[in-house]
Amino acid sequence: MRIGVFICHCGSNIAGTVDCAGVAAQAARFPDVAYSTDIMYACAEPGQDAIIEAIREHGLTGVVVASCTPRMHEPTFRRAVERAGLNRYMFEMANIREHVSWIGKDMDANTNKAAELVRMAVAKLRLNRELTPKSFPVTKRVLVIGGGVAGIQAALDAADAGLEVVLVEKEPSIGGKMAKLDKTFPTVDCSSCILGPRMVDVAQHPKITLYAAAEVESVSGYVGNFSVRIRKKATCVDWDKCTGCGLCTEKCPSRKSYDRFNEGVGPTTAIIIPFPQAIPKKASIEREFCRQFTRGKCGVCAKVCPTGAIDYDMQDSFVEVEVGGIVAATGYDLMDWTVYEEYGGGRYPDVITSLQYERLLSASGPTGGHVRRPSDGAEPRDVVFIQCVGSRDPSVGRPYCSGFCCMYTAKQAILTKDHIPDSQSYVFYMDIRSPGKGYDEFTRRVQEEYQAQYIRGRVSRIYPSRGKLVVCGADTLMGTQVEVAADLVVLAVGGEAAHGAPQLAEKLRISYDQYGFFMEGHPKLKPVETNTAGVFLAGSCQGLKDIPSSVAQGSAAAAKVIGLLSRDMLESDPQIAQVTVSRCIGCGKCIEVCPFKAIQEIDLRGQPRAEVIETVCQGCGVCNATCPQGAIQLSHFTDNQILAEVEALCRF
Amino acid sequence: MAIEQELQAAVKAALPELDCIIGWGPGPDALRDAPLFLRDAADADVLRAGFFSVNNPALFLPEYKGRKIGVLVKGCDARSVGQLLLEGLVRREDLFVIGFPCSGVIDAGKAAALIADRCEAGELRSVREQGDSIVLEGPDGAFSLAKKDVRADKCERCLFPNAMDADLFVGEKRAPFAELDEYADLAAFEQAPLEERMAFWEKEMSRCIRCYACRDACPLCVCRDQCVAVARDPHWLSQADGIRDKLFFQIIHASHLAGRCTGCGECERACPMGIPVLLLKRALSRRVETLFAYRAGIDMQGRPPLLTFSLEEPRIKERDW
Repeated sequence: MRIGVFICHCGSNIAGTVDCAGVAAQAARFPDVAYSTDIMYACAEPGQDAIIEAIREHGLTGVVVASCTPRMHEPTFRRAVERAGLNRYMFEMANIREHVSWIGKDMDANTNKAAELVRMAVAKLRLNRELTPKSFPVTKRVLVIGGGVAGIQAALDAADAGLEVVLVEKEPSIGGKMAKLDKTFPTVDCSSCILGPRMVDVAQHPKITLYAAAEVESVSGYVGNFSVRIRKKATCVDWDKCTGCGLCTEKCPSRKSYDRFNEGVGPTTAIIIPFPQAIPKKASIEREFCRQFTRGKCGVCAKVCPTGAIDYDMQDSFVEVEVGGIVAATGYDLMDWTVYEEYGGGRYPDVITSLQYERLLSASGPTGGHVRRPSDGAEPRDVVFIQCVGSRDPSVGRPYCSGFCCMYTAKQAILTKDHIPDSQSYVFYMDIRSPGKGYDEFTRRVQEEYQAQYIRGRVSRIYPSRGKLVVCGADTLMGTQVEVAADLVVLAVGGEAAHGAPQLAEKLRISYDQYGFFMEGHPKLKPVETNTAGVFLAGSCQGLKDIPSSVAQGSAAAAKVIGLLSRDMLESDPQIAQVTVSRCIGCGKCIEVCPFKAIQEIDLRGQPRAEVIETVCQGCGVCNATCPQGAIQLSHFTDNQILAEVEALCRF
Repeated sequence: MAIEQELQAAVKAALPELDCIIGWGPGPDALRDAPLFLRDAADADVLRAGFFSVNNPALFLPEYKGRKIGVLVKGCDARSVGQLLLEGLVRREDLFVIGFPCSGVIDAGKAAALIADRCEAGELRSVREQGDSIVLEGPDGAFSLAKKDVRADKCERCLFPNAMDADLFVGEKRAPFAELDEYADLAAFEQAPLEERMAFWEKEMSRCIRCYACRDACPLCVCRDQCVAVARDPHWLSQADGIRDKLFFQIIHASHLAGRCTGCGECERACPMGIPVLLLKRALSRRVETLFAYRAGIDMQGRPPLLTFSLEEPRIKERDW
């Protein structure tokens, strides 16, 4: 074998703490190395051309590039060696940036370690075999998980491009958090007026199948051919018969149910249609409040329903769908702000969340758009807004900025003035973060035109006194203590990953960060991809963001899925398990451990043997580690290759 | 002895239905029985079963897969059979398991040391059990030894002296000597600092002659001719004569037995150099017990933890939900 070694400087990223020329000189003496050099930017066009040139000039049959992480540029270099006529798997990468130059400053130690990593890569490459991918057909259907504004956008864009879309929403209606908002910043246009038509489009689109009140139960398969099991939760109403007339919700005698859509601002009935513009506009029963379930008798809704749609015995049912790509758009939830004892810990009825305030402001809300405080229904005069409740606060495990609270607080202060002209708003803030288009102007307008009083400082305590809530805080610009007697306190509660997001991530086999937000493929260059092929992200499930960004990501994720599924065939990764039949003893341990059910037992002249189903195998290597006699080998990562790397590192 | 005769009668009755019955018969010397493969009921009188029946007959079962086999088992042998069944390496319907109460087995090495001043093991004319002792007929007359002085260490901590899941059980079940295996031997060993322990293994392994008797005696080492120790592809072990490869093999052996080893101790007994290789396996058994609450070869409904795949392990908390 004739191996070429290329040590990348990555500008000064690597060369700053690694003697690249020295590593190249050492590598020239490694076994089978025919050519070795250092190079300024291996990934740039001149760098790639130099590699191709060297392959041709020196008759190289394998290439090692020592540079950054393979996640970044392995595909780049594989394509480069392929352009020079080599098989793309006759290539190895040594990571001397993330694993060496970025983590230490000792030039000698770094140079030494870089040389050892190159020695390992060379040792492995010497045992590489040419591999050829196989092609398999794709299913031209996409699953969108979550029917908030991001999921709606992704579903509509994908469907408009001709893909079949399956949209799964866990609530009985799509719309997500945006459907709960009264107005949207910075234009103060009506939220449901702009979202509503999109929701109707989803319902009417011939390419979109909507499963509301449903959740993803399990996902199997791989890019191009996922198999998804969806749990349709028992709503106790046959939606094929329900016309959404709402008679049941009028007659329901249980009137103390928690109203999830209205954030518990007022009670609702046990059978509900969440809101007037709900899509689908179908009723569903909340069993924990329904008298038929809690007391064992009632049956009022069944009596009044004109179409006989009520079915108390309904059980969860399951549907299986085959899809080629998946978009996760599961959004966010509010953090539990009651950990803040200084704000009353949830004991004062007139300390509410901003989302509850949206419902008070909304004309379709429980108060018909008249702002009335929860304790006595009185119209508030002095309203205090407290920002960064559960944002930028490491003491409650929420060090991140939620991003949208500054803006919606400004909007709510404007709306307060619109609803109650003689009201006065006070906003306690840490910093005003308004970097979007027209955003900063908006926050100035609320202070200058709407006379909202912005106080830079944190609130130390809220306590009730003579029908008012006294808000004590600091004004750090004035350097004084302030006290405001408020009628209503609105907390700008920060967001957190949707409840159940980590569990969904496990089903989708994608990573999530310590807060439960899904990890994008690359923070800058792959914002809607994940490291699992075929799974994409949109909206706040990846990190909190406002409506424009969520919509943009919805479209971006759709574009990625459309690109993926525009191909009729995909190539399977040939780095998969292979059974050496002559060494297999048919013990079946590999079949038991395979998470993908990619190994089957076959009969070879009366003896059981294992066989890998090539298009199902994902190359995870569990079988490889389990097989006691090493009869299953992972192509490109054979035992011998790993052992060669170990031997190269631990020379005796 | 009554149980031995009962077993002989049972074997005679069962043999016509079976291809073969595996038990014990006269061995190389009076202290040791040898495996016996009975095909003819007329030979049943030579069958032995008791204090000297050390070998684990489960060793031979995978080779007979697909044929009807009877097998005599002690408690520890029964666990090996159980583990083979769990892994699908033998089929229950092919087996006729005959159990009997085991009062422990002899450690021939201990006995040989105790009688060294009288004679060699080969000079003994006969040996028989008598209650809690054994009576040995030497060249200079009879003498006796207490069973507890010559019993194998594994028997002192054995929790399952009565074969489980037997088709036929001959004799009265007895209570185990120990209530709980506390891994006292391991705890004592781990008193020493790490360097000392490494030095211990290096010294022990320097005596290894790479005969692989430990592997060949193990009832759960089912790869046999395909063992990685002798394979060129994958080439895990070199043929170099060094401690490194010898210790490496023992570690491979122990990891292949993690969650599968029933502690029958055949590996250690078979070692001609007297290297305490069971200790390595026991270290992993203890780990599997604490991590997965699993003991090999006991629960026929359980799954060997390292031979299954599950996203979540109930006793390993990777996340806080």
